[in-house]
Amino acid sequence: MAEKEKNTETTSAHEHISSYAEHFGTWVALILLTLMTVFISTFGADLRTLTVATALFIATVKALAVALYFMHLKYDAKIYTAWMIVVMALFVFFLIMVILDYITR
Amino acid sequence: MADSHTFVLPNSGHNFDAKASKMGMWLFLLTELLLFGGLFLVYMIYRYLNQDAFLLASFELNVWMGTINTIVLLTSSMTIAMAITALQKGNAKLAITLSWLTILAALGFLVIKYFEWSSKFEHGLFPGMDHFDALPLGERLYFYLYFFMTGLHALHVIVGGVFIAVVIRMIKKGKVTKERYSLLENSGLYWHLVDLIWIYLFPLFYLIH
Repeated sequence: MAEKEKNTETTSAHEHISSYAEHFGTWVALILLTLMTVFISTFGADLRTLTVATALFIATVKALAVALYFMHLKYDAKIYTAWMIVVMALFVFFLIMVILDYITR
Repeated sequence: MADSHTFVLPNSGHNFDAKASKMGMWLFLLTELLLFGGLFLVYMIYRYLNQDAFLLASFELNVWMGTINTIVLLTSSMTIAMAITALQKGNAKLAITLSWLTILAALGFLVIKYFEWSSKFEHGLFPGMDHFDALPLGERLYFYLYFFMTGLHALHVIVGGVFIAVVIRMIKKGKVTKERYSLLENSGLYWHLVDLIWIYLFPLFYLIH
């Protein structure tokens, strides 16, 4: 691994090349999830409170698909995923602090 | 290629480091996530405080236009990802075509956005217009956030499109190649971020129902 990395330092950061089929598959999944979330919110209006949670859940699944496959996080060095997790944790921390602020007023 | 022990002048064009440039791009993208993250927190609080007003105001948006724009952006994300694959496999011509398709989708997105915004203007729903100013506070807050967040997002779409256009030019000049594709990769990462943010903007503004 170390040997490989040394060789690629001046050329490219990694050797893994995603296939066209994989990108197309990701796209199909993303489109299906989009249609699903529109369908649920338009025709499942009686689920009122559930729809917000469902919409955010589906959005998060879509975001993960984009990050892992289109943005190549799945195949890249683990440092990028680690950074992403740190930033997401930071965001959740801000979120919790804001919520705590509002419910304790 | 320069051997790692040889001395290279800074900015001489021979100190290309794909890994560092990609890391730099990622660090920048993470700050972008926090920028929009802050706006999402503002949205969350105002929506929590004005639930009915946000629901009412969201009916002004056209769900179908939003859905089409989502599909356009997702498709453009696929074409730019494929452009990177094409260049990595040495097919520069296909990479350029796929990059152009991405720019075309970016323009399509902006055109649809233009129609959406102008129909809001026609209904007097822009801050400072008479109809807007007469709305209850909750609905005004919804539209402030809608215009600011989708506007900032649209600005990113424009920047991303210009970035990809610059990369196309550099592929044509032979400066971005099969061996040195990191600029195309970075423009792709930026473009995916634009997509990532829209993935959250869409349900939060269009699908409140």
